[in-house]
Amino acid sequence: MKRIDLPLDKVVEEIGKFYRYDEHHFIVINAVDLGDAIEVQWFFSNYVAPGEVTMFAAKADASQLIPSITRVVPSAWVAEAELVDLMGINIENAKKGFVLEEDFEGAPLRKK
Amino acid sequence: MATYYDIPVGAQHISLLEPLHFKLTTENEKIVDVEANVGYVHRGIEKACTTKFKFRQVSFVIGRICGLCSISHTTAYSQVAEKLLNLEIPLRAKYLRILVLELDRIHSHMLCLSHVAENSGFEALFMRTMKDREISMELLEAVCGNRVQYDYSIVGGVARDLRPEVAQMILTRLKELRPKIDDLIDIFQNNWSLSLKNKGIGAISFEDAMRLNAVGPLARAAGVPVDVRNDTEDLLPWKQVGFEMVLENGGDVHARNMVRLRELLVSMKIIENVIQGLPEGPIVAETKALPEGEAVVRLEAPRGELFHYAKGNKTQYLERLKVKAPTFSNIPAFVEMFKGNEYASAPAIIASYDPCLSCTAR
Amino acid sequence: MKAFFIAIGNLFKRPATIQYPFAPTYKPDDYRGLIEHNPDLCIWCRRCEMACPPGAIIFSQAMDGKQTYHYNRAVCIYCGECVRTCPKPGAIIQTATPATPALKDENINNSWAETVKMALESRAAYMAEKKRQAATKQQGGDTTQAE
Repeated sequence: MKRIDLPLDKVVEEIGKFYRYDEHHFIVINAVDLGDAIEVQWFFSNYVAPGEVTMFAAKADASQLIPSITRVVPSAWVAEAELVDLMGINIENAKKGFVLEEDFEGAPLRKK
Repeated sequence: MATYYDIPVGAQHISLLEPLHFKLTTENEKIVDVEANVGYVHRGIEKACTTKFKFRQVSFVIGRICGLCSISHTTAYSQVAEKLLNLEIPLRAKYLRILVLELDRIHSHMLCLSHVAENSGFEALFMRTMKDREISMELLEAVCGNRVQYDYSIVGGVARDLRPEVAQMILTRLKELRPKIDDLIDIFQNNWSLSLKNKGIGAISFEDAMRLNAVGPLARAAGVPVDVRNDTEDLLPWKQVGFEMVLENGGDVHARNMVRLRELLVSMKIIENVIQGLPEGPIVAETKALPEGEAVVRLEAPRGELFHYAKGNKTQYLERLKVKAPTFSNIPAFVEMFKGNEYASAPAIIASYDPCLSCTAR
Repeated sequence: MKAFFIAIGNLFKRPATIQYPFAPTYKPDDYRGLIEHNPDLCIWCRRCEMACPPGAIIFSQAMDGKQTYHYNRAVCIYCGECVRTCPKPGAIIQTATPATPALKDENINNSWAETVKMALESRAAYMAEKKRQAATKQQGGDTTQAE
């Protein structure tokens, strides 16, 4: 697994430079609660070089607005909607209530 | 001016196996827009795995995500935990994992095929496919000791060894299954009334499948060469046991049926090779280490690429475990697939996509 | 067309379904069934209790230190993890007997919750008693030294 650490505001730009739809396969977006910050991770695999997984990682505050990559990867809306519900973070244009109820309060995967 | 109607399908519907909700916007009979809701069965398994269960127990918990692909989840988790522990498992354990994964693929694909037949209105074929599927269920019970929850992979290897008489039984029963699958291929390929509901319905183009990152039989039916078994050789030796990628063109319901049917034959070949070339040796590698660092594992489940991410912090409990199920990746492609088809075809399209909502919502 | 003739032919064949209540279904010899414990061989290390994923095994402890094994077949998932972790072969084994369904009279869930509570309390009481004894012994030792 190749890990690329990025500042949060550079994420969309860098992924836009990296991602070619006929070359890379978007896997999923994941987030890990580190305690003081949340690390958001974007995973891609490669059709051309099989077995290679690239991870873009960026640190964010819980209240910060995280840019959406759906402009670059159209199918990422599912993963973004899931993270909004389970991790309780703000992602641009992502709707709430995809996995949990719309009026559910709290974020199950966060350490309090 | 066109009039649009919103028709809900689900969450409880006669053609659905699991709670899945669609809002189909139709113009006359044609579907023009789709909205999907998948989160009816969220059970918080990821949270439970990081708080309530030790990392060795998690491989049993994670199998309970789904009854159909339980072995895929257990194996993927065991592999990711072994990566965190820096543990190399014996070759015999790898071979036995492949054996159960492929048996599981046979029963999962046959379940899907039977439901495509049922949702296309061909009840007799549904009964027949389910009857033939019983052979693979019995084999799984003989190998794992249980019909649905196999609990076969554990961290460090596999739970049970394969007895010689069970190996012999698998070979003879698979010989029985072979002509039945040939018959099924014949029916699915040539039956006229089934072709009306399957051929050209729910098609997705190569470009769309690629752009929307589809995985599994759905992508392979559109000609996208995406199969994790083809990618990684370090965790499970797929190529050694004779894996071949199955590709079809067209991307419609019929092409997906054909991919699944032909994959049955590949799986049967792999199982025979595994049993004939099963190496001797231990089945479990022991270690006292604790999980540390982060790792990812990709594994080809019956429905497509399964992805596990785990992070350890040198305690008995994991810091984070993320499961990405194949159905989850296919939702964008799935929503696209409906558009332009008739409302009456929706059940067949849903079944051919083989949704597994327990995996998706976890 | 061929499928049609097969379907007609099937009308005259015997049913494919198993006559379940009257004939037994297929069950392998090494079916994963009930867990059995042998108190004569057990070394009371409680490793099975720690390994059990759903917590179907618990040991209670009497005041003289003697432990008793409790098992709930309705909580057990029959994974066999207890058998694999057991350091003494034969102390805990997996039989091929399927579990019988739990009946209402058994009150299996509520009584199990009580058993777990009782077991944990008995162990805590034993530990407290042991600590108290150790403390008095220590004290006694101190006083003898002082003298």
